[in-house]
Amino acid sequence: MTRSLTIAAIGGATLTLLAGCDLGPKDSVQTGYRGAGLAQIVDRSRVAEATAIPPAPYPLPPDEGPRASETYQNVQVLGGLSTERFNHLMAEMNQWVAPPEAGCNYCHNPENMASDEKYTKIVARRMIQMTQRINSTWASHVKQTGVTCYTCHRGKPVPDFKWALADGTPNPRSIRGNRRGQNAPDPNVGYASLPSDPFAAYFAGKANIRVASDNALPSADHVVSIKDAEKSYGLMMHVSSALGVNCTYCHNSQSFRAWNLSRGQRATAYYGIRMVRQSNDEYISPLQSVFPANRKGPHGDPYKVNCTTCHQGLSKPLGGVSMIDQAPVLRGPLVTPAATEAGPAGSGAVLDALANPGAMTGKNEPAPTPARQ
Amino acid sequence: MQYQNIFTQVQLRGPLEAGPPVPPSTFDRGNLATYNYWIGKLGNAQIGPFYLGTLGVASLVCAFLAIEIIGLNMWASVNWDPIQFVRQLPWLALEPPGPEWGFTLAVPLAEGGWWQMAGFFMSASLILFWLRTYRRAKTMGMGTHVAWAFAAGIFLILVLGFVRPLLMGSWAEAVPFGIFPHLDWTAAFSIRYGNLFYNPFHCLSIVFLYGSTLLFAMHGATILAVGRYGGEREIEQITDRGTASERAALFWRWTMGFNATMESIHRWAWWFAVLCPITGGIGILLTGTVVDNWYLWAVLHSFAPDYPSTGVLDPATLPGAPR
Amino acid sequence: MALLSFERKYRVRGGTLIGGDLFDFWVGPFYVGFFGVTTAISAILGTALIFYAASLGPTWNPWLINIAPPDLEYGLALAPLREGGFWQIITICAIVAFTSWALREVEICRKLGMGYHVPFAYGFAIFAYVSLVVIRPLMLGAWGHGFPYGIFSHLDWVSNTGYQYLHFHYNPAHMLAVSFFFMTGGALAFHGALVLSSVNPGKGQEVKSPEYEDAFFRDSIGYSVGTLGIHRLGLLLALSAGFWSAICIIISGPFWTRGWPEWWTWWLNLPIWS
Repeated sequence: MTRSLTIAAIGGATLTLLAGCDLGPKDSVQTGYRGAGLAQIVDRSRVAEATAIPPAPYPLPPDEGPRASETYQNVQVLGGLSTERFNHLMAEMNQWVAPPEAGCNYCHNPENMASDEKYTKIVARRMIQMTQRINSTWASHVKQTGVTCYTCHRGKPVPDFKWALADGTPNPRSIRGNRRGQNAPDPNVGYASLPSDPFAAYFAGKANIRVASDNALPSADHVVSIKDAEKSYGLMMHVSSALGVNCTYCHNSQSFRAWNLSRGQRATAYYGIRMVRQSNDEYISPLQSVFPANRKGPHGDPYKVNCTTCHQGLSKPLGGVSMIDQAPVLRGPLVTPAATEAGPAGSGAVLDALANPGAMTGKNEPAPTPARQ
Repeated sequence: MQYQNIFTQVQLRGPLEAGPPVPPSTFDRGNLATYNYWIGKLGNAQIGPFYLGTLGVASLVCAFLAIEIIGLNMWASVNWDPIQFVRQLPWLALEPPGPEWGFTLAVPLAEGGWWQMAGFFMSASLILFWLRTYRRAKTMGMGTHVAWAFAAGIFLILVLGFVRPLLMGSWAEAVPFGIFPHLDWTAAFSIRYGNLFYNPFHCLSIVFLYGSTLLFAMHGATILAVGRYGGEREIEQITDRGTASERAALFWRWTMGFNATMESIHRWAWWFAVLCPITGGIGILLTGTVVDNWYLWAVLHSFAPDYPSTGVLDPATLPGAPR
Repeated sequence: MALLSFERKYRVRGGTLIGGDLFDFWVGPFYVGFFGVTTAISAILGTALIFYAASLGPTWNPWLINIAPPDLEYGLALAPLREGGFWQIITICAIVAFTSWALREVEICRKLGMGYHVPFAYGFAIFAYVSLVVIRPLMLGAWGHGFPYGIFSHLDWVSNTGYQYLHFHYNPAHMLAVSFFFMTGGALAFHGALVLSSVNPGKGQEVKSPEYEDAFFRDSIGYSVGTLGIHRLGLLLALSAGFWSAICIIISGPFWTRGWPEWWTWWLNLPIWS
């Protein structure tokens, strides 16, 4: 009797523990030299599904005929585009961003379409500029796939995944409610007790992500606390969760720091982090005075982007489907013929981008003095 | 199965053992003792008597204070919510002072002072308990081997929480109190110092940890296997070798060509177990003070395996790349 | 090699599981037996293959020699020798050698009239090894998930396989295994020390009896598990360490593919909190 009860209890406990587990068939992809434990193992049923791509509202018209600036008033960014194409993009934005019940009126005053009285119109204009900047200068990250409004918005006026400065500690001089910025099960850092707000430091600020030394021996030039390593680890937990990959997608943990052990994807991520910083610093944060209070975080800063905003659990947002051909104007003005020759996405393309990063950023500076990172 | 000596088949009940008389001292052993049937299945059924002693009481008070400080800080961090305290307990922590405080001796309580105090009381508790084991052994006319084994463990704890932070000049290097947080610290420590697996003393420590487990499995299994010859009476077997000891020795001699004796196996055991925290502590002491990146140090000394280069360059070293 | 003074009377015929009297003899201090022969053949073959595979590699530096399993694309098939085939044959040799060794221990136990605790315990070590190179690779569908044979390369495998789950310390079975390892180390230190302190009490003192051992631990922590109990406890702790180590790697991949910290959300989401 006791024995059967024990067996039942153990069986029940085992089933309970297994119930939360990934029991489906798995796929493995090797990401480095054999036998080094470099692999992505995924449960097929757990792979995040790419959002369906909405069909174009109507076929893309040719870029011919009168310009938008001639047809409409107060067209500041897209004035050089044909009116037909301009209308097409507006229809797309209706579909990609605006809530269905509001439609054009989400941004425009139907009485006076040219008016900037709605804050959403000002934001939308700046976001078009941001999209163009990303597509034209950050091919190192977005390749030729590019991004559109839909990459983040997915048919919603506010993207699902965003961040603002965290609530923080009510009073750092008291232990009440004081977690020292960590020690909470936070999905930002994959539910570890690592510092749970990596965004302010790394996606608004430019804190150093590299914590290991480039020198075997200690030096006064490299004073980095274990606390910094925990913060950096927290950021990496975010990146992994956002992309639905594990650490070995980019790194060989023999040395997280060594680039010759890392995959090209790490360089893509390097540029991605800088792209996010620029988008936040130059495009979103300056709109602080434009956004109403309900579009801002507890500290009054606008909601900003991080890796999840676009990636949403996939290493390539939207499963790698490019929508840029539906809105070619979003490629922006600076597109270089050289960039279009880059091969398909993959490690080859990454290496091409690395060979001439200046072409991607429009900055051809001399090589910086290698500072200790 | 019943001949494999896995559980005690017959438990004796009689007057509880009081132990050899102790010389007159402030505290008596007391006579609070009882039998427990289930514990008796595995080992001795008798629990107690308990001996407090001056050092024991002092150690318990310090341990209580340390645990109290840690627990109350954790509870405060969830705004004194008892349900969230239990729910989030594995994530909660009492953190050491931040890097901005360096090795300041008295940091404001909420900013790491409580951690310092908890660390102090925990260390005091361990050291008082160490003194107690040492004095007990002396009082009872035994060797002080237990005390010195215990000291090896205390050495590692003090290295982690005090000596290395002192050498690095920063309390922030110390381990936080907390279940998951101390695991985060361990992982971050390895990442910060370029992969602890390439720290030779970490390697040695792991060897001794696994070696200790292997030794205890071998030794425990051997003694149980000769239990039918009274093998567990080790002191008698050491001083007057019997067939249990002979068979145990021959088992290993015939298996691997080498055997310990009933006494020397305990020397092997003691050294393996004691060297685990000692080599580990040395490895911790060298990290950040003498070596800053163990992987690069391994490359310098030709013991880091070389994998085919991926050809990826650090974008930060390329002209025109964003920094 | 000379026999121990008491050894001759124990060297008797019998107790073999297989082969009768055929292999029932000693070579120097080593007992042979049928399983000694199979151990020797598989161990020598495996070691020779390690040396041969190393000779084809770029280095003789013992820290750097790396005999790696095949690429994942080979799945559960055989791979060319230089691309993981050596690893596969060496793995077979190792499993045969370890199992033979355990069975040889059984024969020695029978010869000496001992219990089977040692081969039983050794079985846990074999189980842990087989978990790493057979059970988990089978469950994931590729031999390439096994660990490479190399002193530091196997540490790289451990590190990377851990980071496949973002933060391996949050693996509950790994937590148990590490705790058992530490407890075993502590218990071994105290057991060794207690016996040594009884039989080496210092100048002018008499050797102490187990009653003193019990009294010392009862005075220290209120309980002494006793001379027999400590060996049961030690064996239990050590085997638990090995067992949970095997479990912690078997569940990583076949039963859990995300970061281990995320696994703990079941606890956060229990209905009892609201």
